[in-house]
Parts: sequence; C-alpha cells; structure tokens
Amino acid sequence: MKAIVDCNNFYCSCERLFVPQLDRKPIVVLSNNDGCVISRSDEAKTSGVQMGVPLFEVRSLLQQEGITWFSSNYELYGDLSWRVMETLRLLMGEARVEVYSVDEAFIDLDDMGTEALAALGLSIRERVEQWTGIRVSVGVGPTKTLAKLANRLAKKDKLRTRCVMVLSDLPAIETALRKTAVGDLWGIGRRYARKLQEQWSIYDGWQLASVSEEFAHAHLGGVVGKRLVRELRGIPSKEMEEERTQKKMIATTRMFGRKVYALTEIKEAIATYVARAAEKLRRQYSAATELSVFIIAHEEGSRFGKAYSDHCILTNPSADTGVLLHKALALVETLYRSGPAYKKAGVLLGGLVPASSRQASLFDQGEATDDRAGLMLAIDNINFSLPLQSASRHDSILRFAATGTNRAWKMKQARRSARYTTRWRELPVVH
Amino acid sequence: MDSKHLSGQAAYRGSKDFTQQQVRSANATGFGAAADDYMERGIDLNEELIRNKPATYFFRMKGDAMKEAGIFEGDVLIVDRSVPLTNGRIIVAVLNGELLVRRFHKNFSSAFLIPENNRYKTINLAEFSDFVVWGVITYTIHPQG
Repeated sequence: MKAIVDCNNFYCSCERLFVPQLDRKPIVVLSNNDGCVISRSDEAKTSGVQMGVPLFEVRSLLQQEGITWFSSNYELYGDLSWRVMETLRLLMGEARVEVYSVDEAFIDLDDMGTEALAALGLSIRERVEQWTGIRVSVGVGPTKTLAKLANRLAKKDKLRTRCVMVLSDLPAIETALRKTAVGDLWGIGRRYARKLQEQWSIYDGWQLASVSEEFAHAHLGGVVGKRLVRELRGIPSKEMEEERTQKKMIATTRMFGRKVYALTEIKEAIATYVARAAEKLRRQYSAATELSVFIIAHEEGSRFGKAYSDHCILTNPSADTGVLLHKALALVETLYRSGPAYKKAGVLLGGLVPASSRQASLFDQGEATDDRAGLMLAIDNINFSLPLQSASRHDSILRFAATGTNRAWKMKQARRSARYTTRWRELPVVH
Repeated sequence: MDSKHLSGQAAYRGSKDFTQQQVRSANATGFGAAADDYMERGIDLNEELIRNKPATYFFRMKGDAMKEAGIFEGDVLIVDRSVPLTNGRIIVAVLNGELLVRRFHKNFSSAFLIPENNRYKTINLAEFSDFVVWGVITYTIHPQG
C-alpha cells in the first residue's frame, strides 16, 4: 500500500501558524509578483474565490467578503515544508518517504498489514500537526493514484474523515471511483478529460478503470495512459522514486514588477537571479556545467509573450557567482533587442555535479579553478546571518555590483508576511 | 512499523550538521599533527537547546508579564512543540486569537494561565472556549548587560 500525505491549503496554513487571529477567517496567498491566487483557505473557497484567478479580477470579491490576501513568502513555506517532511522521515524512516512536492509526500507502506492503516494514517496526521503546526490529510490506497484519490476524498469531508481515508478493499475503491469525475483523477488533464467524455462517454473513474489496457495505450498517451489505468485497478505501476534531495537543475525566474525596457535593468535582474541560483547551488554542494538565460518580451494580447534564450557550457563546473555572472551577462547582451518591453527573465543552472568532484582540467583556461570557494562561503554566511534593513528586506547585504543598487524592476510583494522561522529580526512576537 | 517508530522520542533529532572538512586542523607551524588527535569541533549551542529540530520554533518576548520567571522584553523563547504539556510548565498559548506566554496550571476541576507579574491577572480557562496550547517553552535566552 501507498500513502500520500498532503498539507491542507499549505501556504494558507503557513500564514496562519503565527497569526492565530486568522484561524477560521478567509485568506488567500498570491503567486510571485502578486499575480494570481495560488492557495485558498477553506473559508475563501466557500466565498467563491477560484484557484488561479489574477488579483485584479478578484480584488473586489476579496474586499467585499473581507478576505485577507498575502504575497507569497517562500522562505517561510520552504522552512515549514522541510519540517513536515523531516517529521515524516523521523516517524516512518527515511527510506519510505518520497517528497513529491513542497506540500506532498508519498509513503511506502508495502510491508504493512491493511488492518493498521487507518490508525497509522491518523497517527501520522496527528504527529505532523503536533510537531509542526501544519495540518495534513492522509490518503492510503494500493497504488499512488488511488492514494491520491483517497486523499482528495478525505479533504472533501474533513469532519467525517478526520482527514484520513484508506481505500483498501475493492468495494471501497469502486465507490470512490464511481463518485469521482475523470478530470479529478491524478494524471488526467483537462484535455484528456474532455476527450474521454465527448468521444467515449467515460465520465467517472470507475468507467475509466474498466477500459482495456490497449485502449488506454492507444488513446491516453501510450505507456502513461496504460499505467494510469493499471493504477486505478490497484496494480502499482508508478513506483516509489529515490528521493532527490539534490536538484539536478536550479532555476531562478521572476516576473518583473513593471515593464522593463533598458538593457542595464535587465542585466541587473539577471545578475540578481544568477546570484540567487548560485547561492542555492552552493547550499547543496553542487557546481554547474551548463548555464542558460532567457528573457521574455511583453506581447499585447498574449499571456505568454515572445521568449529569447541562449545557453553556454562551462568547461569547468563552477558555483562561483562571479564566474557565472560573467557568462550570464554576456548571454543577455547577445539576446537583448531594444524596443520591446520585457516582463520576465530567468536563469537556469544545469548539468549539476558535486562540487567536490571538480577537477582541474588539462585544458583549463584558468578561469574557474575556483579558489574562491572560501570567498563564496564567506559571502553566503554573511548574507544568511546578518539582519536586513527593512527598506530592502528582500535583498542580501553583500551583493555583486552587477546586481544593481536601485532595482526598480524588482517584483511586487506588497503583503509578504514576516519570515518568522528563518530570520532573527522577524521572529513571531508573544506577550 | 513498530512502536519504536511511533514513540518518536528515542534519538537525537537536533540540528547538528557538520562534516569532517569543517574541522580546522593542520597549521603553518607544522606542529598541528599531535594536537589534531584531540581536535574537537567546539561547542554547538544548537545541540543543547534544540532537541527536536522540526518541532522547534523561536519567539520574541514582548512585555513584562513573565518577569518574575526571569523572562523579559526582547528575550528569545525556544518552543518545542513535541514536548508534552505538564502542569506548571511555561507555554505559548493561543487565547482569543492572541499568542500569550504564561505558566500553565491545572487542578482537579479547572485550568489556569498564570502570569509571573502581579500587575497581570490569572486567566481562568473555563471562561474561554478557544484556548489552544501552541507549544511548551524549553529554554529562554536573556542577554546580560
């Protein structure tokens, strides 16, 4: 059996942890740059706020219903996510836990008897809430897909299920699948959902579980579709993955706070993203061998805009902000065309290798032998430990000059809460 | 799954996190080697103050409600949510949506939040319906001077 542990309205729960006045009040959290709603409390859902709507569309509804909104506070969410996952690892053993996203983890329960699962699910939920203050739901089923389904049903009726649901026998699975629309199953997107309904009159999960594997292979994206149907029938086909604690790629991308035209401003932004990405790189003791940069121009009437991107290979893997900056800025200069307004930029560091495996190569140009690891460590330590001035509270103290001083392009975070768990100056206050 | 996994109180779960490379050893005099055998990492306060890292949070004290207990404005409070509440412990409580630091006391019939400053009133929890224990305070840090 597999379980999935999923935090309830995770970002909203994080916002409430140190502000108990917000308990049972409607709140929402917005995406980067205060763009769209990405997390809603149950009360906000009841008030009719939809997932993913842009702030400007929903602003009057928020006001009218007295819904509090927050900018996203990724330092807080990241720390609380680590606490939840660490609690699961300590409770269940590291080998059983596969972190699936910031607020979800699969747990391998293959060697456990089914009788104890409900009690185990409950004790997982209680332990995580007791230790971290974050509420979770637990879904258990013979496959990951059915565990996801169980979790969804547990969340739908929190009072009755106490946020735990186990689908272990066929009648329970059949009932659950019958009352779930195909579009609400894990792995079925909107497009496939419509196709299933319109072309084959397959509306619920039970109908989908009854199709042949050949049908799934032919019409639902080949192997992926076949696996999905097997999973619905209780045959594990998506196995537990080894946990990737070290990322294989690091990306830093942001929307600008306003339209940006000038190359100098774009270079500052790119330099800031490089510095941020390099910091993440060093935190996991990696070095990059590939660097790519993209900028996206604003296009009237289009949500996406035109993207320009380029990349380069680093012959010597590096985690040195200076080295990476140099390369990234050269790339932006070739990408940049004057004229259009740009709205977003990003940096990707790929081909990551352990920092310790770097070797001086025979063809070393002398650029990245990286005797500056000590300097980087010093910079990181200072930036992490020093309290920040409130005026520039998203910025680091020690920065490369290329990252600019004015930073008018920086994104909007009008209502970000304090970083309660990662900054001395921002600790929650008690009386 | 056995009871050991669920009891959760067995091993150290603090924040000790270091590698051999971080231990400073050899020095320029060449006499480093003998002393290396006795080289230690130095004392890490986290080891003493944080027994269970994922459950440990820091707060900042505001006001003087607990001054007789030696907790003053500006002190750092360390709260371990995995520590079970027992009678007489100082806790962070949620009352009427507010975070309060008080001593928890319970007798056969009722429970109280007791300030350590006679200018403040003892709170009888029977009068409140939405009292929640946020966590038990395990250490407080107070600067001298």
